[in-house]
Amino acid sequence: MAEPIIKVENLAKMFLSKERKKGAGRKKKEVHALKSVNLEILDGEVFGLLGPNGAGKTTLIKILTTLLIPTSGTAWVNGYSITKEEDEVRASIGCMLMGDRGLYWKLTGRENLDYFGALYHVPKADRTKRIDELVALLKLGDFIDRTVETYSSGQRMIVAFAKSLVNDAPILFLDEPTVTMDVPTARELRRIVKELNEGGKTILYTTHLMHEAEELCDRVAIIDHGEIIALGTPGELKESLGHEDVVSLEGIFPEATVSRLRAVPGILEVSVTAEDSGRSKLDVMCGNSRAMLPKIIEAVMGDGATIEEIKPKEITLEDVFVAKTGRTLAVDTRVVGEKAVRGRGG
Amino acid sequence: MGFGLGRPGWRASVGVIWSVFRARLKIITRYKGAVLLESIIPVIFAGLPILLGSAVAGSEQAAADNFFRYTGTAGQSAADFRLYMMMGSNTFMVVSLMLWLIGYWVRREQETGTLEALYLAPAKRLHVLTGVTSYTLVRSLIAFVTATVLGSLLFQVNPLSGSFGAALAYLLLGIPALWGISFFFGALVMRIKEANSVIQLLQWVLAFAMGVYFPVTVFPLLLRWTAMAFPPTLMNDAIRSSLLNISSIYGPWYVVLALMLIAAWTVPLLGYEFFGLVERRVRRDQGVGQF
Repeated sequence: MAEPIIKVENLAKMFLSKERKKGAGRKKKEVHALKSVNLEILDGEVFGLLGPNGAGKTTLIKILTTLLIPTSGTAWVNGYSITKEEDEVRASIGCMLMGDRGLYWKLTGRENLDYFGALYHVPKADRTKRIDELVALLKLGDFIDRTVETYSSGQRMIVAFAKSLVNDAPILFLDEPTVTMDVPTARELRRIVKELNEGGKTILYTTHLMHEAEELCDRVAIIDHGEIIALGTPGELKESLGHEDVVSLEGIFPEATVSRLRAVPGILEVSVTAEDSGRSKLDVMCGNSRAMLPKIIEAVMGDGATIEEIKPKEITLEDVFVAKTGRTLAVDTRVVGEKAVRGRGG
Repeated sequence: MGFGLGRPGWRASVGVIWSVFRARLKIITRYKGAVLLESIIPVIFAGLPILLGSAVAGSEQAAADNFFRYTGTAGQSAADFRLYMMMGSNTFMVVSLMLWLIGYWVRREQETGTLEALYLAPAKRLHVLTGVTSYTLVRSLIAFVTATVLGSLLFQVNPLSGSFGAALAYLLLGIPALWGISFFFGALVMRIKEANSVIQLLQWVLAFAMGVYFPVTVFPLLLRWTAMAFPPTLMNDAIRSSLLNISSIYGPWYVVLALMLIAAWTVPLLGYEFFGLVERRVRRDQGVGQF
């Protein structure tokens, strides 16, 4: 049984946020970004942190990486306290938290890696060797000696990823590392993440791409409104939905369709993902899709909707997320369901 | 579980200082002509009061006579008048560059996300700041020497005529206090997340307070004492009085030296402490990454 390499105890973070309302001046409002979070991440696992924007996952990562000081509670990373042994915590981790930001544009990629290697106290000889290894591993040879200002967004992302590996730390924090990468590069990065994990690194990986989480993560925590609302292996989380089925419909649906569907007995949850073209996708969660299908079609068609495609769907982490939070993780999420009425916090 | 390839220790700390210093120099040299162009500015700034003095007094010698009589140092030549203005302008540039470069550095790092990247690394704040301030020192001194050479040729003055060694010593002794003030300024920029407006305002307040074109003895009493308590004023006066062999407004040389030593010791400590306090507050609040 692996030991926890990251341990979080009752971690909370409260911000004072200034609200500017017309005619009312500025008013300070308390925002509870994290509410007494408890968590253990085991040595050698890939741990996924899932949640929509504002759920609190970035706040959690920033606290664990010592960028933020918690309001209460504490955590240990690699056995070091995040509030009392900050330098040791920083020395234990490699981070990619800001996408393609965090690089000096007037320096070359190699100069950036060398610079950050020095900041991580990597001796010069080891640094040079490590950078050469990373150039080969991540195939940076074509552009590593050009200044970063000439890079494409994807190239900056991959150099930022290389930066997180320059000190070869035992723990990696990767926050949406594939977000601006093209498909082949993202796939390659996921392959490397797997390799690094097989080599013994513990990886905390945040993403809103469910397939990434399913592909990479040994365990996953879903965080929403500053609280961990689900935790387990992807398999366990999917099983937690019981014998529920999902029916996916694509087409053009009037606004009332969702409420009509939700009123149908036997339907547990409905999520909507809208597209720019006016088309949308409905994921309908129900007990038995075969039995429910005629009722679903009747409810949708009775409202003058156009169904272009209808198909049963395997339960995914996305469905777990929808079931737990009442909304999808997609950027163009439309809030549905009673749980979602709470709105976004954190 | 260890730290990967990281090997903390004094060698690593020196490595941080050197890497930060070298990276800053590399970056500025990739902006073509930046250092040379900023060296021309004080020469232009010195030309303004010299020409204005001549225009008001009727001749340059009359301007020099009036100026030195009014400021309590009669009997100096027109060349000394030009040297006075030039050295004031050049010293102001050193002070200005050292303060603003730190302010712009903090702001730029905030905007590009590299400040957050710095805070993710185990390198100590002191070492990073030492690297950056070493860079600002070198850049300021390059600009100072270039401006002095250019100004000496243009205004036909000899900056080596007075106690040049003493002036140089005062310049170097004044640097730690400037670092201290720059830490205050850097902390302010980190907190308010804005550099331009603060710099635009403080630039002229600074020029006024440190007596770029005049000794601060011309100020009313309260303003004079306030200005004299400002370390750049002390540094400026010490350099000029050495080069021109005129008396310092602070008193005999040993008083000037003692004051400079006190400033060199206390101001950096206070500035560094203030930087740490602000940084901690920022980390308790929204974090250094928010810009």
